[in-house]
Amino acid sequence: MAAVQAKSIACPNCGGPVQLRGFAHTLSAVCPQCLSILDASSPEVQILQTFQGKTQVKPTIPLGTRGKFAGAQYEVIGFQVREVSTGDDSYSWDEYLLFNPFKGFRYLTEYNGHWNFVHVETALPVKTQARGKPAMQYDSKLYLAFDYMTASTVYVLGEFPWRLKRGDSVACQDFVAPPFMLSSEATEGDITWSRAEYMTGEQIWQAFKLPGSPPPIYGIFANQPSSYGSTVASSWSTWVWLNVVLAALVFLFMFISPGRIAFSDHYVYSQGVKPDVAFSNTEAFVTPTFQLDGRKSNVELSIHTDLDNNWVYFNFALINNQTGESFDFGREVSYYHDSDGSDGNRNNSVIIPSVPSGQYYLRVDPEMARGSPFVAYDLQLRRNVPNYGFFGLAFVLLLIPPAFTTFRRGSFEAARWRESDYAPIPKSGDDD
Amino acid sequence: MNTLFVLYGVILLGLTGVAEYSGWSFSSVNQQRVLPKSIRDNPGAYRSSYGGYSRYIGGK
Repeated sequence: MAAVQAKSIACPNCGGPVQLRGFAHTLSAVCPQCLSILDASSPEVQILQTFQGKTQVKPTIPLGTRGKFAGAQYEVIGFQVREVSTGDDSYSWDEYLLFNPFKGFRYLTEYNGHWNFVHVETALPVKTQARGKPAMQYDSKLYLAFDYMTASTVYVLGEFPWRLKRGDSVACQDFVAPPFMLSSEATEGDITWSRAEYMTGEQIWQAFKLPGSPPPIYGIFANQPSSYGSTVASSWSTWVWLNVVLAALVFLFMFISPGRIAFSDHYVYSQGVKPDVAFSNTEAFVTPTFQLDGRKSNVELSIHTDLDNNWVYFNFALINNQTGESFDFGREVSYYHDSDGSDGNRNNSVIIPSVPSGQYYLRVDPEMARGSPFVAYDLQLRRNVPNYGFFGLAFVLLLIPPAFTTFRRGSFEAARWRESDYAPIPKSGDDD
Repeated sequence: MNTLFVLYGVILLGLTGVAEYSGWSFSSVNQQRVLPKSIRDNPGAYRSSYGGYSRYIGGK
């Protein structure tokens, strides 16, 4: 391609040279000196339109720059700025025309730092409906309707394989299936379909080997792929596997922590009456000693009472008979009920953490409101019980990463569709 | 991202296993001082750190 010489013509308006790189394909060309649009389809070059504007636009990628896309080298031969006006508001994007003598024409569009490599399609898509929106089925992909507009060419440079003028308008419609976009451009009696693939500025800069860095990205573009798209599925898949491991841990600890009963007894508490047990000269008493075996592990104390519209508070101390080391804790049990319902529970339990093995006894000191009747209660100590609270906490904490990525993808998609003419909520600034 | 999640999950499940094996608990238990042997003979002499319990007894 480097050996091919560009053809040159003289501008009939200013006399300046106009290079043609598209060979016989070029139907119109723009004089780089006076910006007149010339009819280059015949040897007698004629002026199609002179430039009346005041400002000139410098393309980010200069005409004549060559870059490699999909294994083929393309040269930038044309540039146009297209504008959409919606009442008081207007926006524009840049379009570059790329040419390869063997592959033909391709387009590169840029809007707010978002790039698309565009190929004109010859097959027609099939009209359908999906998710409550108009859609197109093309090449086994479903494209959802995104927006429709009338775009006008407001600035041109280089050459083009059609006769163009500034002010030319086409009715455009975009359908998206990120990272692809299917677009139609309709003029009177003619519809052209093209398919675009989203590219980053870095990819474009690399393809053209351009100096510096690409323009910064603003907002989310219609067919911009979400960086969370594949992450969401894989994070939920990982979540399932981690939960399988969590379930295995639950079964493992149900097996190795069976919760063997180390002590169990029945008592009756009545104010001012010494308990009918050994080792007591007050309302507080101590139980007989019992053995806690195995590794340093937890102990669960369960309290079962026959309370009825009353409360009882227990001061407990689990005391090592040999070392005197004690674990001090208290638990309230209260249960009230009337015709409106009930409040509280007759039973309570507590898990005492990391208790070393050894011979222990329990000091029990119950308290009730003055004048209360007696309460009968059972105390049961179980060694080495599975603490399901940790498993529950692990389950909740494992949900955070997939929930976060799902939320981020949802936010990304919401931001994408806010810009759509088919948005669930009309975009800001829309009155109707 | 997924590698980080796997790492996070492995650490979390590892901590859960250690917590279960070591018998950790969310319960508030005060591991107290070493007590004299006389407590067993005179339980009332022991002052629990949870003693002096006062409660609103208005009831339901």
